Amino acid sequence: MNRERLTNIALPLIGTLIVVAVWEAASRLGAIDPRVFPGPVTAIAEAAGRLSADTVGEHMAWSLFRVFSGFALGVAAGVVIGVLAGWYRWFGLIARPLIELLRPIPPLAWIPLAIIWFGLGEPSKFFIIFLGAFFPVVTATYHGVTNVDPILVRAARTFGVGGWSLLARIVLPAASPDLATGIRIGWGLSFGVLVAAELIAADRGLGYMIMNERNTGGSVSVIIVGILLIGFLNLLTDAAIGSAIQRWIGRWHGSGV
Amino acid sequence: MTVGREGHSQVGSGAATRVEAEPSAGSAIRISNVTKSFGAPGHGPTVLRTIDLTVRENEFVSLVGRSGCGKTTLLNIIAGLERPTSGTVEIHGRAVRGPGQGQGVVFQQHALFPWMTALRNVVFGFRDASLSKSDKQERARELLQLVGLSAAADKYPREMSGGMQQRVAIARALALDPEILLMDEPFGALDELTRIELQQELLRIWEARKKTVVFVTHSINEALALSDRVILLAPHPGRIERDLAIDLPRPRLRTDPRFIALHEEIWKGLSS
Ligand SMILES: Nc1ncnc2c1ncn2[C@@H]1O[C@H](COP(=O)(O)OP(=O)(O)O)[C@@H](O)[C@H]1O
Ligand SMILES: [Mg+2]
Repeated sequence: MNRERLTNIALPLIGTLIVVAVWEAASRLGAIDPRVFPGPVTAIAEAAGRLSADTVGEHMAWSLFRVFSGFALGVAAGVVIGVLAGWYRWFGLIARPLIELLRPIPPLAWIPLAIIWFGLGEPSKFFIIFLGAFFPVVTATYHGVTNVDPILVRAARTFGVGGWSLLARIVLPAASPDLATGIRIGWGLSFGVLVAAELIAADRGLGYMIMNERNTGGSVSVIIVGILLIGFLNLLTDAAIGSAIQRWIGRWHGSGV
Repeated sequence: MTVGREGHSQVGSGAATRVEAEPSAGSAIRISNVTKSFGAPGHGPTVLRTIDLTVRENEFVSLVGRSGCGKTTLLNIIAGLERPTSGTVEIHGRAVRGPGQGQGVVFQQHALFPWMTALRNVVFGFRDASLSKSDKQERARELLQLVGLSAAADKYPREMSGGMQQRVAIARALALDPEILLMDEPFGALDELTRIELQQELLRIWEARKKTVVFVTHSINEALALSDRVILLAPHPGRIERDLAIDLPRPRLRTDPRFIALHEEIWKGLSS
């Protein structure tokens, strides 16, 4: 058990180190052109020279703030609409075709409309990120609410529990593993559209930092470090959400999501 | 033990008080002329046809029959979870209009709420609004003790064995202090040893609490070990084939010649 845990932590670390080492070696041996693809040591050193930690920290903080806001709105709307669509048949009949129609549209395709509707400020970015979270959450919530084990509903009914009480005490908890899956996927998608959202005339955020460097003919190192930062942030926050979900439903549901 | 027979009028909302002077006094359940078919009236096969059955108070009755002959459907109708297509079901002279009228149900799968611990599952069973939260918890602990699970109060269903889950389900059903206990193959998924253990527990509880029990099983041995009466259902459409009084003292031995003779009789009834 302990040994298995060690392996589970050690192997991914070793794998990452190998890839970084190969990357560094390839750059030192001249296998890749350092002007378009510098090695990790050069990239970090150069990026550190061009940007202060404060500046990077500020860009990161803005990106996180946007993702959290858009994501929170998307989760809230997704849960409410998903629950209503699953609980009231008539509402489901109206809402589901609309959701199914809009769901396959990539959030990025909404950018032009977002600019027209919300202008170039923060709301248009929230909107794009919101879409990233909304569709996975609304779909998973609907699925969870409509797929509650009927035996649990019957059992609750034998205790005279029905109506809203049935929804709150049985259906929602029973649907929470599905909801958790939707939240996790939604977080990933929200993060995924972050850079694109920040392309909408932003003046801060990691997406802006990257594009600005490209547009002003700056250093490719900053772009590489920026991209890796996005991945890293996503990894950390996803792990945090995963462990929160584990604490929320792990004990009774078994495996996490 | 504070979980007594007193105060069993709490079940249901504004349910009428018991009509003691009914001609059916002494009969806990009266099923009259019940027919059931699923789907639109006149369409779909008849699952149950003209079922007439009276269960006396504190009687332990088993329903035995091939799978698909309508045992679960009949139990669900008594539970108020399913409506009969025609006919009536009365519990202590009151027409059954839905669940929560004094029927406790134990299902084949444990049907515990997986996000609640054993204790909270049992607490859920107390519907009496006049009980405080700590009262409910205290009584739930007593019920867990009754089913031999004091130590597992804080375990979640997935952390329990099938036998433990079913014990919790029984405790939860008892929390309603139901007048009748409806059990649908409750031990069907358990191994032989656990099954026999739970049968003995159930008899002990039944004797201590004086419940009316309707017990569905496809095990002839189980029906014979437990029941005052065994009702044989025949399939297509589901109907009562035989109604056998089991007049043997408990505990019953499978090697008792009378047990064997009854087993043979039921077996013949089922395979005809
Ligand atoms: N909800 C339902 N809709 C349609 N047919 C059903 C439904 N429930 C049960 N049946 C049918 O009724 C018959 C009796 O089922 P059931 O009461 O579950 O039998 P048993 O419990 O004796 O195995 C079966 O043929 C089954 O297919
Ligand atoms: Mg059945």
